[in-house]
Amino acid sequence: MKNNQRDDHLVTTAAASTPAAPNGEVNAGIATATVEIEHLSKWYGDVVAVSDVSFGIGAGVTGLLGPNGAGKSSILKVLAGLLKPSAGEVRVMGRRMRSDVELFRRIGMVPEQETIYPYLTGREFVRWNASLQRVSDLDSATQRALTTADLGDAADRRIGGYSKGMRQRIKIAAALVHDPDILVLDEPLTGTDPVQRVHLIRLIQNLGNAGKTVFVSSHVLHEVERLADRIIVIVNGKLAAVGDYRAIRDKIDEHARTIRVKSTNDRGLASMLITTPHVASVRIDPDPLSLVVEAEDVRAVYRLLPRVAREHDIRLFEIAALDDSLASVFAYVTQR
Amino acid sequence: MILATFPTLWLTLRQFAAGRATRVVAFFAATPIIFALVYLFNSGGTTANEFLGVVFNEFLAPTIVPLATLILATATLGNELSDRTVLYLVLKPIARWRIIVEKFIGACIVTGVAFIIGIFITWALVAFGPEMPKSAVLPAMIVSALFGVAAYGAVFLFFSLVIPRALLVGVIYILLWESLLARYIPGIRVLSIRHFMQSIFVHWINDPKVTIPQPTQMGSAIIVLVAVVIISLILASIRLRQMNLD
Repeated sequence: MKNNQRDDHLVTTAAASTPAAPNGEVNAGIATATVEIEHLSKWYGDVVAVSDVSFGIGAGVTGLLGPNGAGKSSILKVLAGLLKPSAGEVRVMGRRMRSDVELFRRIGMVPEQETIYPYLTGREFVRWNASLQRVSDLDSATQRALTTADLGDAADRRIGGYSKGMRQRIKIAAALVHDPDILVLDEPLTGTDPVQRVHLIRLIQNLGNAGKTVFVSSHVLHEVERLADRIIVIVNGKLAAVGDYRAIRDKIDEHARTIRVKSTNDRGLASMLITTPHVASVRIDPDPLSLVVEAEDVRAVYRLLPRVAREHDIRLFEIAALDDSLASVFAYVTQR
Repeated sequence: MILATFPTLWLTLRQFAAGRATRVVAFFAATPIIFALVYLFNSGGTTANEFLGVVFNEFLAPTIVPLATLILATATLGNELSDRTVLYLVLKPIARWRIIVEKFIGACIVTGVAFIIGIFITWALVAFGPEMPKSAVLPAMIVSALFGVAAYGAVFLFFSLVIPRALLVGVIYILLWESLLARYIPGIRVLSIRHFMQSIFVHWINDPKVTIPQPTQMGSAIIVLVAVVIISLILASIRLRQMNLD
């Protein structure tokens, strides 16, 4: 279950490039921002990784979405104080991140990088993190975090022998051991198997529901869809859109040009559709067996399909926009 | 206990306990034992004091102590920077200077223990020989070596934060500066850590046959080495605080 109230509109590039107002739209539909990023830029020599990005995030799960190399990791690293911003400022709970190490008591971060001390067991690693966070009861905090991350017996094995998914979970356990208010996760689902993925998604949603500020980066749209209602879209280091995931989804549906249709009689349906002025072309896709419709007016095709199917006694199993790949989302939100 | 109080030190000791670098350091620290065994069989008319003085002044101080310390001091944070596990340290509410100090102490403990054991066995073997060395020789060797470990450790730890190939640069520095130039060129001598280590040693054993050119007074030598440690650790802390950990 997604936890966040829906933002009725999508803020795209023009509005998103304005500074983060305390209660403004670029705060991704939240009333009070726990993390405020203002006019953030980060460049490496001549390469601009992040360009004048402003937004705020608050309690609940917020997704940071963007293709590889878009600047997501740079934003997270600046947020965590690992990188010094070239321009702009990051404030966490109203305090400057890079100059205030005590803020790390309030933050848990799961970095993207996989390497963890291979000579430690999972339990030792989490316990060590608890000690650095000055947790009073190391043993119980460690056990609680390990249970939350569902490490099981693997906790007492050396991390050097862990799978990629187990490494992700031990990193999450370590980030949760001090019960932080803010959790920053850089591509947390990478390398996890489907079962682990379901578990981690539920865990992240539960943390958001519990009132924690959870900021999750991903380059996979359907991951973010399952994790967060609010998303921040980054493209080429710039803020492309901030808002509710479903608002973006709605826009995609409105503007989609290609539709996949599965029915009991694809050929019959194709012959009917091609005669209408709303359809540019129709083809049969063998894998999966379906009809791919290029629409002139996609809304008209959506209205037309059930009527044509009913009239010719054809059952429809699925109607899906094919343009909702991540690339299409970015193309859409950046072209507006 | 160590984990709860000094978590970075605990990690450093675990890191070295599992690492190949520690075995290399142990090998370096054990090399004087080979010379002691040779001495046992053929002293060549050299007194025990003279022999141990040569081992320290010509072998341990200019080459072995700095090389062994270089390996662990550059590895203590350098490895974590290269494999990026340093993120797990710096993303914590812990002051950068404390990370540096605990890392430094960890490297010094492992290197220091290796040299204490190596020097003690060397001294014990020589003591089995034709004559007993002066009682001051063993503590003088150990304490001087430990001062050297501390000074080199702090300098090389700082190197590892500012130079990408700190190990290679450190080897060149040791072989070119400490072992060659500072040994033979009088003006450069006082600009080497080795000189102050040897000064402590020769003043402590107080044997006219075991000396170095223009030794610095023991108190001054100690002050210089302590200053080197403090300045290097401060610079390393500043550097770690300012680093972009990408």
